[in-house]
Amino acid sequence: MIPNPLRDPRDRRLPRVPEPCALVVFGITGDLARKKLLPAVYDLANRGLLPTNFALLGFARRDWGDTEFAELARDAARKHARTPWREEVWERLATTVRFVQGSFDDDNAFDELAGHLAELEGSHGIGGNAAFYLSIPPAMFPVVLKQMQRTGMADSTSDRWRRVVVEKPFGTDLESSRELNALVDSVFTADDVFRIDHYLGKETVQNLMALRFANTLFEPIWNGHNVDSVQITMAEDVGIGGRAGFYEKTGAARDVLQNHLLQLLALTAMEEPVEFSAEEIRTEKLKVLRAISLPEDLETFAVRGQYEQGWLAGQRACGYRQEEGVDPESTTETFAAVRLGVETRRWAGVPFYLRTGKRLPRRVTEIALVFKRAPHLPFADTDTEELGNNQLVVRVQPDEGVTLKFGSKVPGSVMEVRDVSMDFLYGEQFTESSPEAYERLLLDVLLGDATLFPRNAEVEASWAVIDPLEEFWQGTKPHSYRAGEWGPRAADEMLAAEGRRWRRP
Amino acid sequence: MTTLWDTTGSAVVKELAAQRRTGGAVLSGVALTLVVVADESRVTEAEEAATHAAEMHPCRVLIVVRRQIDAPVPRLDAEVQIGGRLGPGEAVVMRMYGRLALHAESVVLPLLAADAPVVTWWHGVPPERIATDALGVLADRRITDSSLTEDPPATLRVRAEDYAPGDSDLAWTRSTAWRAVLASTLDSVSGRRSDAVQVHGGRIEGDPGNATAQLLAGWISSRCGCSVDVVPGSRDPGPSGVEAVTLRLDQDEQLEVRADHRGGAVISQPYRPDSTLALPERVLGDLLSEELRRLDPDEPYSEALEAATGLRGLSDRPAVREHVWFDPAAETDVVTS
Repeated sequence: MIPNPLRDPRDRRLPRVPEPCALVVFGITGDLARKKLLPAVYDLANRGLLPTNFALLGFARRDWGDTEFAELARDAARKHARTPWREEVWERLATTVRFVQGSFDDDNAFDELAGHLAELEGSHGIGGNAAFYLSIPPAMFPVVLKQMQRTGMADSTSDRWRRVVVEKPFGTDLESSRELNALVDSVFTADDVFRIDHYLGKETVQNLMALRFANTLFEPIWNGHNVDSVQITMAEDVGIGGRAGFYEKTGAARDVLQNHLLQLLALTAMEEPVEFSAEEIRTEKLKVLRAISLPEDLETFAVRGQYEQGWLAGQRACGYRQEEGVDPESTTETFAAVRLGVETRRWAGVPFYLRTGKRLPRRVTEIALVFKRAPHLPFADTDTEELGNNQLVVRVQPDEGVTLKFGSKVPGSVMEVRDVSMDFLYGEQFTESSPEAYERLLLDVLLGDATLFPRNAEVEASWAVIDPLEEFWQGTKPHSYRAGEWGPRAADEMLAAEGRRWRRP
Repeated sequence: MTTLWDTTGSAVVKELAAQRRTGGAVLSGVALTLVVVADESRVTEAEEAATHAAEMHPCRVLIVVRRQIDAPVPRLDAEVQIGGRLGPGEAVVMRMYGRLALHAESVVLPLLAADAPVVTWWHGVPPERIATDALGVLADRRITDSSLTEDPPATLRVRAEDYAPGDSDLAWTRSTAWRAVLASTLDSVSGRRSDAVQVHGGRIEGDPGNATAQLLAGWISSRCGCSVDVVPGSRDPGPSGVEAVTLRLDQDEQLEVRADHRGGAVISQPYRPDSTLALPERVLGDLLSEELRRLDPDEPYSEALEAATGLRGLSDRPAVREHVWFDPAAETDVVTS
């Protein structure tokens, strides 16, 4: 960064504002762009976090004019924005919005796009900086990337940056993700590739690092001497929605376990980074991902499930195989639970239980550290019957916050100890106004801050964990569970086999 | 909500505890205590702003309204709220009559959240010497608003004379949006040049009698070492008192940011087309919320204040004040106790 006399590191009031730039979104008419990206751009503008010179370009197949597109973008932003709607902010933003119509194999359309970009450099003073957001199915990546290479749009030079944002899934297995990485890296330099895992943009996930590394209280017990096991849960109450085509090929393990859950595991288990920088944090996460071991007895410790019809939140829910667009004989899993180990000095012997599923009783994501029981209890056995393990729970969503569960005396004349929980709650009230994950991540892309984005080596290390599981599951049938249950019985047996049980989140 | 008429501080403490028990866990965890000192005429405004700020920063809000200092019998009325009209947290509105108003800290001290920072905000004319208000002495951060006085530039001088690290002013907070635009515009000039930019001078069009305009000028001159004048503008500049800022740069270049009176600003810089960007006037709650974000001394503010008033060495002063007894009813002005 070139020194600026008005910038002062002590001046924490001035927001981080990116350099003048353009944001190009491929697949702007898609669900993600409408529900997340466009509102995030509006929110950034409304908070005054976009640079003075900024342009938004949308690229899609649909036959639209600038006005129709502006109309759609406005409706989308207005409907999903988190900050109050101010027409004048949108109007200003709308003057910078362009729409380019074309299919991805259409050379003319890309030439037009490149032309628009060059034109904006002059007319909007964006200085040649641009971020490309690939909000498109991965199958389209090669075509789009080749087009960008052909038109020279992807080249960063000393006086301009070009960045690309890639959404999960990053491939479907180790091999395909390697291919994808090689492809993306051949067009963009590795530092200019931003892989979005929106979980990492969540406030609580970032707070996990503050909790661990800014306090003296937790780090000394954050290891296998004190921790009995770790449970990471990401449950959804919804089904697959209209995404049958995508989900049939993907399944819960590839959709969630490979990225969100393993990233949460990495953040939970990693050593302290040397400094709070993108490079150092990624280095520590990578070490954990590489140290993950799979159980030998996959039959017991790698369970997958598929929901059958049932009742959820007072409504009848149909089974996965009955969902529209799903093969009636489908063996795709909608639930996955696995026991992993982290082979480091800190974590050797501590099981990490990961589970994710759809049509579970409620939407919840949390990381729970279950501590060992006290080695000796000076109370009578009957006094501590109700005492469980101490727990430290980081609630990622909803009810963002931290819970500490410990034993306390039941008031009364006899000595009785039972579990109580102490809550730190951000509460909806406080997080409502904090930036949404996409907003934060989009800003980081424009600023070039890669702290919250996994690196390709991390993606590959994650696939190296998932691949053997998928191989083991190949050709088997998932266990079934009723919609509205906490997964198949086999998942409970998996913990029971080691004398543990799942925490009810 | 419970209202306690003619009550005592201990009764308020008890009521707060009782409501916390019966009200359920509306909010757990408090980051700070916000003490608001307001006149009766501004109390609604202050409540609204405090509520807004409490939604972003979990805090206990204590609003102190001093009334009728000459009333013969001291009296305390208090309204205790948990998770109600005054935001998600705990809030107490206290009206103090008679001599009690001079000893407000005796009610406030037991109500402070344990071991959490205290921020005192005067929504009204601030005391000339903060040391004379015990509610300011016990605070870790003190927020005044120079724009609420008759002669804001003179008030800035008073603030500078009285300054201690940890003081802040909402007139300064009002300049943040302008400062952000100016800094990022300068970024884009240096980005185009691929070289650092020097600011040789500047001019602010607006209201020279506005504290924000003066502080903005002070900030630019403290950062760039050049003089910046505030000259009267042609239109009513709004609460920030700034209509346009022009910066003279090296290489004979110039940039200008001008409010467009529609919640935006037009930025003119060399070799680039004009662009507009959001620069809305912010509500009081937003300003307060920005203040609560950080509680350490604000050095850029003290430097801007130095440059705006010509006083030096502000940040070298001790951060802790000794309470100075001051009785507005007494003939003798200030007696140290």
